[in-house]
Amino acid sequence: MPQTLKEVDVVVIGVGFAGSILAKELAAYGLKVVGLERGHSRHSVPDFQAPAIHDELKYSVRKGMMQDVTREAMTFRNQHREVALPMRQWEAFLPGTGLGGCGVHWNGQAWRYQVADFIYKSHVEERYGKKFLDPDLRIQDWGVTYQEMEPYYDRFEYLLGVCGKAGNLNGKVEQGGNPLEAPRSREYPNPPMKEQYAGALFRKAATDLGYHPFLQPSANMTRPYTNPEGLTLNPCAYCGFCERYGCEHFAKASPQTVILPVLMKNTNFELRTESQVLRINLDSSGKKATGVNYMDAQGREFEQPAGLVLLTAFALNDVRMLLLSGIGEPYDPVTEKGVVGRNYAYQTQSYVPAFLKEDIHLNSFMAAGASGTVIDDFSVDNFDHSALGFIGGCYVLCGSTNARPIEFHPTPPGTPRWGRQWKDAVRRHYNHTAIFNLSGSSSASRWNYLSLDPTYRDAWGLPLLRMTFDFPENDLRMSRYVTNKASEIARRMGATTVVDEPRTGPFTTTTYQSTHNTGGAIMGSDPATSVVNRYCQAWDVPNVFVVGACNYPQNSSYNPTGTLGALIYWTADALKSRYLKRPGPLA
Amino acid sequence: MSYSTARPAPTDPLQLGAQIVAQGTTNGAIACARCHGFDGQADGSGAFPKLAGQFPQYLAKQLRAYASGTRQNALMQPIAKGLKDAEIDSVAQYYASLHPSTLASRPVAAQLVARGKQLAKLGDLKLRVQACESCHGPNGQGEPPAVPYLAGQYSHYIDVQIQMFRQGIRTSQQMQDPAHSLREQDIAAVAAYFERASRNGAK
Repeated sequence: MPQTLKEVDVVVIGVGFAGSILAKELAAYGLKVVGLERGHSRHSVPDFQAPAIHDELKYSVRKGMMQDVTREAMTFRNQHREVALPMRQWEAFLPGTGLGGCGVHWNGQAWRYQVADFIYKSHVEERYGKKFLDPDLRIQDWGVTYQEMEPYYDRFEYLLGVCGKAGNLNGKVEQGGNPLEAPRSREYPNPPMKEQYAGALFRKAATDLGYHPFLQPSANMTRPYTNPEGLTLNPCAYCGFCERYGCEHFAKASPQTVILPVLMKNTNFELRTESQVLRINLDSSGKKATGVNYMDAQGREFEQPAGLVLLTAFALNDVRMLLLSGIGEPYDPVTEKGVVGRNYAYQTQSYVPAFLKEDIHLNSFMAAGASGTVIDDFSVDNFDHSALGFIGGCYVLCGSTNARPIEFHPTPPGTPRWGRQWKDAVRRHYNHTAIFNLSGSSSASRWNYLSLDPTYRDAWGLPLLRMTFDFPENDLRMSRYVTNKASEIARRMGATTVVDEPRTGPFTTTTYQSTHNTGGAIMGSDPATSVVNRYCQAWDVPNVFVVGACNYPQNSSYNPTGTLGALIYWTADALKSRYLKRPGPLA
Repeated sequence: MSYSTARPAPTDPLQLGAQIVAQGTTNGAIACARCHGFDGQADGSGAFPKLAGQFPQYLAKQLRAYASGTRQNALMQPIAKGLKDAEIDSVAQYYASLHPSTLASRPVAAQLVARGKQLAKLGDLKLRVQACESCHGPNGQGEPPAVPYLAGQYSHYIDVQIQMFRQGIRTSQQMQDPAHSLREQDIAAVAAYFERASRNGAK
């Protein structure tokens, strides 16, 4: 029998960016909040100390900060008619675990989405007509607009100390920034990062071709910065160990550096780590959550009653928790009924390695997770698609996030995979290869979805999440077009060999692409096609709020964290100014 | 001073550096050796830093900072202004080429050194100070070219430098926040720890 604990006002499932910010806002509001974190507690000191934190084998190869796949994995299949099998190691994407979540080991690429992103379906239909879309696509509007999100983007960026140069201040184009960005109400809190040499070469070539290069927004600090919570971050050392690592310098914005110290001081908040939530409990009506059941590290089960449940456990885990708890009707792609698991999308990544002459020394190891030079000319709907026959796009980024010894050894096509010739090629190209990263949008489609696996279970006996996903044809056409454009820039840079490799299907879980898993618990204005309303409140159970990239009806070209941050503060505001004053459905 | 001009200046940077260290220049730079020693070990007082084996890029950068006034020091500014560009590089290369030796340290409380070691290796979560060695390398060996070694440096010198970062007399984006966050006794502690740390290759 689970032991029933004393009721609290709020229980938060997963203490990453979303969990820690929402908990902080509600604890400061005066509510008793319990944060349940599946993984360990960890802090900049002593857990992220150099040189131990720079252990590439432990963190990059063996995925030291990721969810333990021997206890809790996922199953995968490309097609609805196939039988899904469990992933035995993380490769394509890397769900994190532990206090701070993915906010610890992200690269710090802190983007905003475009105005068109939030009204995507309406926008595409208006610009290109209703018949333009491939019939299998299921894109939607978000139910919120960019204009509504802007103040919350601003708040998140100032919390993080995002470094960049505005390109559009209140509609006025600014020199030195991204002229194609959505308008922002004020300048970034900090100046942009130092440009890498590869980025400078890219800038010149891209400018020659008529594009608009700029330095990407970064949550790796460019100077000492004290955020509105009173926490000070230090400047980045460009060590090249951001993604998959914690930062020893207090230089990368993470829950540990920007919010947790303030949250932990509030006596209204209690953190319980190594607490695996098993389900959200509902009352007999099925319309009200009564709390959660979780198991601690000793295998003891507890029931934690709570008046409000916040589900902030990473996109994929959020969807699974809803399915395990029976909140919302599961999606069925055959009948297209149900909503939970619907519109799972990803990121359509491709890469263009530009092999340069031997006298060009890039020193790409001097890098931060977000120190690239970018063009936004081919992102989302920043270019005319009417003659192209697809929707969406990619930003094109040049500049490394690292040149670490185990993972970074670019060689041109035709090089053997091992042996003397491989070693010679690595020596020749290591310091002379610029890799373009194309981060592409991902269109929701009818047959891509998340559900519970009928066969495989986790260490607690619960069904694993099953992913059914392949790249929609639309996205492959998009990748072909933009990758080709990127190759032209690489040739203009003087590359002797350019590898033009657009994304091709089928999707495979065996090579890393992106941890930008989105959708499955999408937001919207119609309960028939969304799981949560525009305030991230579950349609069916109004005292459950779900905040994560699972809310995105489809994915944009950009990394999702900046938009997640805006949604977090948007939801916090809705909770404080509306829900807590009058609990019940908000929309 | 006049006799030094009678001979042609050496063209080899190490020789030119050695000559300036020993004799100074005719432009107003006095001999570096007067305070820092010909062997780069300084005079043992701790008022002047040990320079032997310090990274040449770091030393040259500091001399240029003195010359331009971005690093302030009444003694060093006129000396640095008396050095031409090539002379700065030569002096830096000369001192960088020397092997530091380990000197006897002042006796201090073991507790102080232990606290210094903790700050150096782990930092302090409550103070939000990162480990010194995150940048200054394992055991304070430094991270060339930008970050100086601290191992075996005089504790008094380290202490004074942190105080100067704290007061904003010496500026560094990296050092600004740690210098402010450390408490007085912590500054003495890290200085004592690093003075005792031995440099790789030290005799």
